[in-house]
Amino acid sequence: MTTKVIENERTAMSQHITRQPDGPGKRIGKKGEISFLGKLAPGAAKVFRERLPQIQAEAGSWEDGVGTVVDFRATLIDNDTRMLVTIVYDGDFKPYLEDVLSKAGPWLDQVFGGFEGFKGVKDRKSVEELVANTHFECDLFYIANPDVTARDVAKMQRLSKAVGDLLDAAN
Amino acid sequence: MLKPYTPALDMSDIQATVLRPRPSPYVGEYVVLRIDDAAQGREMLRRIIPHVAPADEWWVPSLPGWLGIAFTYQGLKALGLPQASLDSFPVEFRQGMAARAAILHDFGGNAPSNWEYPFGNSDMHVALAVYSDNEQHLGEILARAGQSHHDLAHVSVVYRMRFNELPGGRNPFGFRDGLHNPHVEGSVAEEDGFVPAASNASIKAGEFVMGYPDELGQTALAPIPGELRHNGTFVAFRKFHMDVAAFRKYLRAHASSPEEEELLAAKMVGRWRSGAPLVLAPDHDDPALGGDATRNNDFSYADDMKGLKCPFSAHTRRINPRDALKDDVVNVNLHKFLRRGTNYGSALPEGVLEDDGAERGGVFLLIGAHLQRQFEFVQSQWATDGNFISHGAEQDPLVGNNDGEGVFTIPKIPVRRRLHGLPCFVSVRGGEYCFMPGLRALQWLARLGDNAD
Repeated sequence: MTTKVIENERTAMSQHITRQPDGPGKRIGKKGEISFLGKLAPGAAKVFRERLPQIQAEAGSWEDGVGTVVDFRATLIDNDTRMLVTIVYDGDFKPYLEDVLSKAGPWLDQVFGGFEGFKGVKDRKSVEELVANTHFECDLFYIANPDVTARDVAKMQRLSKAVGDLLDAAN
Repeated sequence: MLKPYTPALDMSDIQATVLRPRPSPYVGEYVVLRIDDAAQGREMLRRIIPHVAPADEWWVPSLPGWLGIAFTYQGLKALGLPQASLDSFPVEFRQGMAARAAILHDFGGNAPSNWEYPFGNSDMHVALAVYSDNEQHLGEILARAGQSHHDLAHVSVVYRMRFNELPGGRNPFGFRDGLHNPHVEGSVAEEDGFVPAASNASIKAGEFVMGYPDELGQTALAPIPGELRHNGTFVAFRKFHMDVAAFRKYLRAHASSPEEEELLAAKMVGRWRSGAPLVLAPDHDDPALGGDATRNNDFSYADDMKGLKCPFSAHTRRINPRDALKDDVVNVNLHKFLRRGTNYGSALPEGVLEDDGAERGGVFLLIGAHLQRQFEFVQSQWATDGNFISHGAEQDPLVGNNDGEGVFTIPKIPVRRRLHGLPCFVSVRGGEYCFMPGLRALQWLARLGDNAD
């Protein structure tokens, strides 16, 4: 079993991985990751599938409101008995948890509502238990442009458009 | 017609330090005690309780000033608080501020290994804050405090620190001090003559004092028991050294005239030296505005969302963003604390650009019922990070932990100005988390050993 990195031209691009300073998950630059794997209550998968089109359609609005989520996936696995949720986001996890719950609570309830024992984001104790019992840290993590946040990308898009418009006007 | 005086808060039980601003002018002293015997510690407490000022006595104090008292986790342990109660305190309080250095970005020169004794050390048990309006009165209160333990061999003074107001109520950098604090709902009656600025809406009392609903509609359930918790709060104690000469030199090096130096200083702080906010006086200082308590806090960032008047990164806009983040995920009302600031040392004479080696700076008591989402959030997310304003790793230009390579962005049309090479103007000399109980809780603590001893 290999336990040591053998330096070569590819390892020169190795990303510096740390852990979140106050919360679960790995971190590269400004990007953190966290995943949740939990058992679903009986019938919860069916309800999730029925609601999925609406949850999916509203994802952009809710997550845009949060503004720091880079990648959010929820997957039914093990014959619909469990759900895996993986998230990549900007910045720290724990300090913003309360704000995220306040901002996107109704949508998060739709996603996590089927987790066994979860009573919804309004019950903060239940949120604490959900995080404690179902979260895990990935083993392997790679992220492109680790120092550029979702908000930075939006700003760069605006800047790029403005420069494009300027150049177009000059032609 | 005035509404009937019906205070929502139990002012007679909450310590004055929590709800009332310090006098002006002021002198005072911070004293730290170590307790090596629980029974003697409780005896000291019994004796000192009559001198601890409640918030309702602030207007007609029975003492010529007031005394506040708070305990570290180690202090509560030293007093003999049962383990179940100790375990019920939030993790950040149990760990202590030094152990939270990675979260608070207390690296490099600000690291706990560089703090003064007894900060970050288990010898810090009880913190006393004594405020008065003159030296004679201060001496009287300190004498009474000293009487509480002078004959107790196992209660010792491990730290004393004098503080005093600088001329004109300015901080060592020369800016008018102590201008803003959140308005605690129910803390001040109309009869007291206090009218909060329209833009400074009341914040639920539970954000600052336990036993009342907070901004989330929740009432604190810990620490236990309720007798200990009710009307208590937490205090983040931070002592800072301020390198005034470095600040002046930086301004001189990056401005081409004295007027531009003043503008640059105001851009870094978010207010002019008089206290006039940049969003109301963007081009030059307005001392009349700065000195007008009814106007100098009555502003919002609604018409400055591009930061052209007050930069996004300016100190006051970072620490208290008001409505600047209204489209963001953050609910700013969850991240406010009460700030009781005092200065120490003498002012560096006007015009001096070389450091005289004197210790000068400020001590802040940052008070709130939720250390994590208040002090720790503001310190880690707003003061020492730039993510929330899309400024990358840019930190607060004044109080950030800049290392000589700090950056400060000033939005401007047609092209923003970006300053580089910011050093650390403000260094941490020490800090600790304390629990400041209500007066009945102090009595409850003092009685802890009655059955056992």
